Amino acid sequence: MIRLEGITKVYDGGTVAVRDVTLDIQKGEFVFLVGPSGSGKSTLIRLMLRQELPSDGDIWVSGKHITKLPSWKVPLLRRSVGTVFQDFKLLPNKTVHENVAFALEVIGRPRHVIRQQVPQVLRLVGLAAKADRLPQQLSGGEQQRVSIARAFVNRPLILLADEPTGNLDPATSVGIMRLLDRINRTGTTVVMATHDHAIVDAMKRRVVALERGRVVRDQSRGAYQTGRPPEASPTAAMAPVTPGPVPAGPAPMTPPPGGDAAPDETETAEV
Amino acid sequence: MRFQYLLEQAMINLRRNGLVVISAVLAVFVTLSLVFLAVVLRRVVDENTGRWDDDIRVIAFLTDDLTLEDIDGLQREVISWEEVESVVYFTKAEALEEFRTLFADQPSLIEVVEEDPSTLPASLRIRPTEAADYDAISNRLAVISGVRQVSSADAAIDNMVTLSNILRVGAVAISIFLGGAAVVLIGNTIRMAIYARRDEISIMKLVGAGNWFVRVPFLLEGAIEGLLGGILAVGAVIGMYRWFVPFFEAFPDWIAVDIPVQFLVQSSILVVFFGVAAGLIGSAIGMWGFLKD
Repeated sequence: MIRLEGITKVYDGGTVAVRDVTLDIQKGEFVFLVGPSGSGKSTLIRLMLRQELPSDGDIWVSGKHITKLPSWKVPLLRRSVGTVFQDFKLLPNKTVHENVAFALEVIGRPRHVIRQQVPQVLRLVGLAAKADRLPQQLSGGEQQRVSIARAFVNRPLILLADEPTGNLDPATSVGIMRLLDRINRTGTTVVMATHDHAIVDAMKRRVVALERGRVVRDQSRGAYQTGRPPEASPTAAMAPVTPGPVPAGPAPMTPPPGGDAAPDETETAEV
Repeated sequence: MRFQYLLEQAMINLRRNGLVVISAVLAVFVTLSLVFLAVVLRRVVDENTGRWDDDIRVIAFLTDDLTLEDIDGLQREVISWEEVESVVYFTKAEALEEFRTLFADQPSLIEVVEEDPSTLPASLRIRPTEAADYDAISNRLAVISGVRQVSSADAAIDNMVTLSNILRVGAVAISIFLGGAAVVLIGNTIRMAIYARRDEISIMKLVGAGNWFVRVPFLLEGAIEGLLGGILAVGAVIGMYRWFVPFFEAFPDWIAVDIPVQFLVQSSILVVFFGVAAGLIGSAIGMWGFLKD
């Protein structure tokens, strides 16, 4: 479904965000991209959406060689990929219903399809009763549900989520994860960048750990960290990552994050 | 439904930045009014100078009884004069052709002439070495047999030709400088509209809206601004012309102020078209580099 081959991304100014990453994601998989801020998670998501082009390497998304895709075909790629972000990205002057319908309007879906599909997806995310509210009248968790509804209303084959629980409290996050899990069970491939230990450990799905732009671990049914139970270190996300044993890491372990941290808006915004 | 949707988006943009939009429309209006005014005035002038183009200042109309050899001899004599730079023989057929274009808007007159071709004589068209020599040349021609009548430019015609040239240069200069300003102002309104909607646009791109679906509302916005400016300019200039015509009637007969309606309609359409084109170019400039994915 998604294949990255030898991907390196160097931003203008020489910051290396991703180094030689090779990754294969099968149809229907649920994959966590984990790692500290600046490890390259968001850059990988942006590369899969073709918001960025890699400096080197090739990417295929649902059979399309997207690093060779002419720019006028990029919209077609994005129609087959749903996206969810930490900051929801809802339009404040549109209601819940209008925000979701907007995604269908701009790709030219006929009105009767919109009338039918929007209420359906709002029921799926449990917001049918709040269709006429404005985003500011909703809680953070509800707003994120709206953005998931918008990402899913077009029934994409792939859902990319960049820190979808980053702005939410743990209880609300659980609800969002249930929803993503449910979407995954419909056969949608889900790739989620996060540094929420509790969620990763509870879900027991494939974990791809990144550090300084390299894949240091790729484990099916994995946890956020290996060799250490999550409850032992609740503040691990803040502390420098201590290198542990690396069972499946294709690349050698590198020292803790240093000078060449990649720009990563979503992660710095959270602090 | 889609076009309606795109048009609605353009209208929303126009409403959101009312003041900037008005300034852009006014810029187009002023530019096109001045250009259109220069074009109309130039046409009025040209109506009066018609055949005095190309520096020809003296026309010797020939009698119909001349043979080709006579004409040849006459032509050789005239060209030998110091004051004459060049002589062109203008046949009856050519004279008829010229008459047709000069009076294209008066078909009844053309019919009369076509029935009796002898009314339009052949002629020699003479370009003097110095523009002011036309007097001397016409005096010498007047006494030659075979020349029926001599017609020459006078100072008024010279002034009119100069005025016509000034108006032509003026129209071009106005369209370059003020037109450039109008295009930049439209580009500015488009850039503001894009800036006001940047969140919306980034979401549109994220959910896979086509590039043209994102661009068209802004192109439409620019085109509408140009269209409004163009229509206002046409209205103003034609209104002004109508209002002034009665005053022109006090002028001597030999000054024609009537310009063909067909010419007015054609150039009005052209002016509106230029307005729309300026709008499209302006919005293309405004979008430049701002709507990449």
